[in-house]
Amino acid sequence: MKIDLSQFRQAFLQESAEHTSTMESGLLALRSAPDDIEILNAIFRSAHSIKGGAGSFGLESLVRFTHALEDLLDRMRAMEVRATEQVIAVLLESIDVLRSLLERGADGILSDSEIELVERIEAHATAQGGPQLAKEDSAAPSTSHDTEPPSVHEPEPVRYKVDFRPKPEMFSSGTNPIVLLRNLTALAQAATCELHTDELPPLSELDPERCYLSWTVDLITVKPAEELREVFEFVDHIADISIRCIDAVESAFPSAVTQMSSMSQCEASTPAPADRSLSVSAPAAMAFSSSPGKKLQSKPAASTESSSIRVATDKVDRLIDLVGELVIAHVMTAQMVENFAPECLPRLRESVAAMERNTRELHERVMAVRMLPVGTLFQRYARIVYDIAQTTGKQITLDTDGEDTEIDKSMLELLGDPLTHLIRNAADHGIETAEARLVAGKPEHGAINLRAFHRSGRVVIEVSDDGAGIDPARVRNKAVERGLIVAGAQLSDDQLRMLIFEPGFSTRDEVSDLSGRGVGMDVVKQNVQRLSGTVSLSSEIGMGSTVSIELPLTLAILEGLLVRVADRTLVLPLLSVVETVAPSPGQMQRIAEQGEVVVIRDESVPLIRMRRYLGLPEQAAAQPGRQSLVVIVENGSKKIGLVVDELLGQQQVVVKSLERHLHKVDGLMGATILGDGCVAPIIDVAGVGAMNLFSLEVPINVSEQLMSAVQSVRVA
Amino acid sequence: MRKVLIVDDSASMRQMVGYTLRQGGYEVTEAEHGQDAVDKLQGTPVDLIITDLNMPVMDGITLIQTVRKHPTLKSKPILMLTTEGLAAKKEQGRAAGATGWIIKPFDPEKLLQTVAKVLP
Repeated sequence: MKIDLSQFRQAFLQESAEHTSTMESGLLALRSAPDDIEILNAIFRSAHSIKGGAGSFGLESLVRFTHALEDLLDRMRAMEVRATEQVIAVLLESIDVLRSLLERGADGILSDSEIELVERIEAHATAQGGPQLAKEDSAAPSTSHDTEPPSVHEPEPVRYKVDFRPKPEMFSSGTNPIVLLRNLTALAQAATCELHTDELPPLSELDPERCYLSWTVDLITVKPAEELREVFEFVDHIADISIRCIDAVESAFPSAVTQMSSMSQCEASTPAPADRSLSVSAPAAMAFSSSPGKKLQSKPAASTESSSIRVATDKVDRLIDLVGELVIAHVMTAQMVENFAPECLPRLRESVAAMERNTRELHERVMAVRMLPVGTLFQRYARIVYDIAQTTGKQITLDTDGEDTEIDKSMLELLGDPLTHLIRNAADHGIETAEARLVAGKPEHGAINLRAFHRSGRVVIEVSDDGAGIDPARVRNKAVERGLIVAGAQLSDDQLRMLIFEPGFSTRDEVSDLSGRGVGMDVVKQNVQRLSGTVSLSSEIGMGSTVSIELPLTLAILEGLLVRVADRTLVLPLLSVVETVAPSPGQMQRIAEQGEVVVIRDESVPLIRMRRYLGLPEQAAAQPGRQSLVVIVENGSKKIGLVVDELLGQQQVVVKSLERHLHKVDGLMGATILGDGCVAPIIDVAGVGAMNLFSLEVPINVSEQLMSAVQSVRVA
Repeated sequence: MRKVLIVDDSASMRQMVGYTLRQGGYEVTEAEHGQDAVDKLQGTPVDLIITDLNMPVMDGITLIQTVRKHPTLKSKPILMLTTEGLAAKKEQGRAAGATGWIIKPFDPEKLLQTVAKVLP
């Protein structure tokens, strides 16, 4: 039987990535607690696990590298090597190499610089402490036992006498002597077993947890003596074993029948350890037959980019329960429908209601499966802050809070980069040098705080620092210089500060190589908006800044406003809807350079006629008693009015991606299936707005694309 | 079908050992560390325990000692699963009452042979 473990490679790599993160955050934590044995143990375990798995997949370089690491960590654990800043720096460097080795996989050959790092690790391991720890098992990942010479023996039967004398404490190792005898005789063509009871005490003195019996097995086998000895591999410390070759086989050897009866004889007279009866149910020679010959199907190796999700078992268990309940409810309903009588109606209603409850809960729970704690994301930032502190010579600590806050997995992935930008920005631009801080009367150590929490059904992630804060006057100068605002524009301090999120803005006179070239913040805003989230900023000069990102819990469901345009139903994300108005004709105006606008409370909002946008026939002009309806939506700080025919209501919709069916369509977030089975497109407000910003005329192919997208969903 | 409890804090290791055992026709339950194993053993009878040594919460040696002191579980066969072919580790495990050992990285066939070696 060939068992292929390569299918677990992906799981191993994923797990190892987590281990490296654990090691990394452990190492960073070690800086303030160099003797914390718990942290050291956790780091060691992670390195150890990576090494253990790496061998299974033939990742030689990884084995070699982690072996060196493990060695150093083991000595740190034993308090022979201290976690000094230098040692931690070397170990952090190793983390990067580990990641790279994991990425490179089987092709990973240690580069010269990596070999040099291994040497430095080894130097640290030997430098401070005494002699190198004796490591009998070196990194060699090959199979463990050298006692298996390729036996090309001529199969000539040999007779052996095996004395097996267990020590009284044999049972305390969980060893069953009968199993050993069975395994031994399984190797034999024929065997007789003699039981020695001379040590057996009188019944009154018998301790059922001690072994008083011993055996002599006389057997004929073609197997080499080593293989017989293998049987006793685990018991050489709790039994005396002697294996003697007697001579070549004599003809007068007992038959297999004798063998069986003698086996059952010894079985009958063995005292059982406390909790079980020792029984050999089949003839000894069949001992190995217990493995059913199941065919192995070798699954195709998982693709490297396959995205997987790790879900707590209790979440899955609850799902299974719910599906069970749903099935029962369904069966009940189906039965009632089958034998329908009018008096069943109340019960039918009840069971439909039960199904509805189940479906709703199932829905919620399935969504919960996609939710992951933000802590997995937060982990990586400690290292970024550490690196920046090292390069800039600043003293910065990163505190995190609310790691358990859960958020949709896909959002978590997309949040990585924006948060990196924010944290780099805080560390690089926000926090001052130690000297400057002392002058300002602040503690030398700058603090960055990363926290996540729930607020009214949304997730808020905040990055705050106690640095210099953002000076609105400087922002103003820069913005004027960059042509973002006109000199003398009337803007509040907060409005001014928000300008740093505009494309092409940088408040730093000299571009730092750490946080990029001023492209960061607008990318942050864009990414967050793509996640249907908002960014806000508060700051006080000399006190620090806080950037808050507010996000919906999940992108997969959204609260939608259903509107009708001609005969189509469209969904607008309710989050971007500001208000709906039925403007009087006087409120609708045409303004040069802006096209059609609606004036609401002295503010003119550009209008998009959805019929025109979708390439549908214009409404018959000025029907009496028929007013246009305008839905005001907000995209960032820009408002747009969408002219629709009718508001149909508000409802939760499940977002279906269109990209499986065709490429991404601007202005379209996805589609959903409504209660009546119709497919309705979900409008991406940002996309619609961007297209209409300067021209009223929408390229016709947009609407074509959009409608064909919807068609294709309907077909699919 | 005989039941094996795998105790290891590494999920991929549990998967690999579990897969191998299932291919060998065993039923498999998993625990993440010694304490988890002790908890699971209360409710589920098993025929064999395979345990890693280096684990958080409760390590393998403590698990072995705990099982050996337990009134009804004390004679369960226990295989330790360890990368450390070190004589010292092996002796420590033996002293605690391990029945045998499997060395990581393991060869699947060899693992099944070892399991068959100690299972009643």
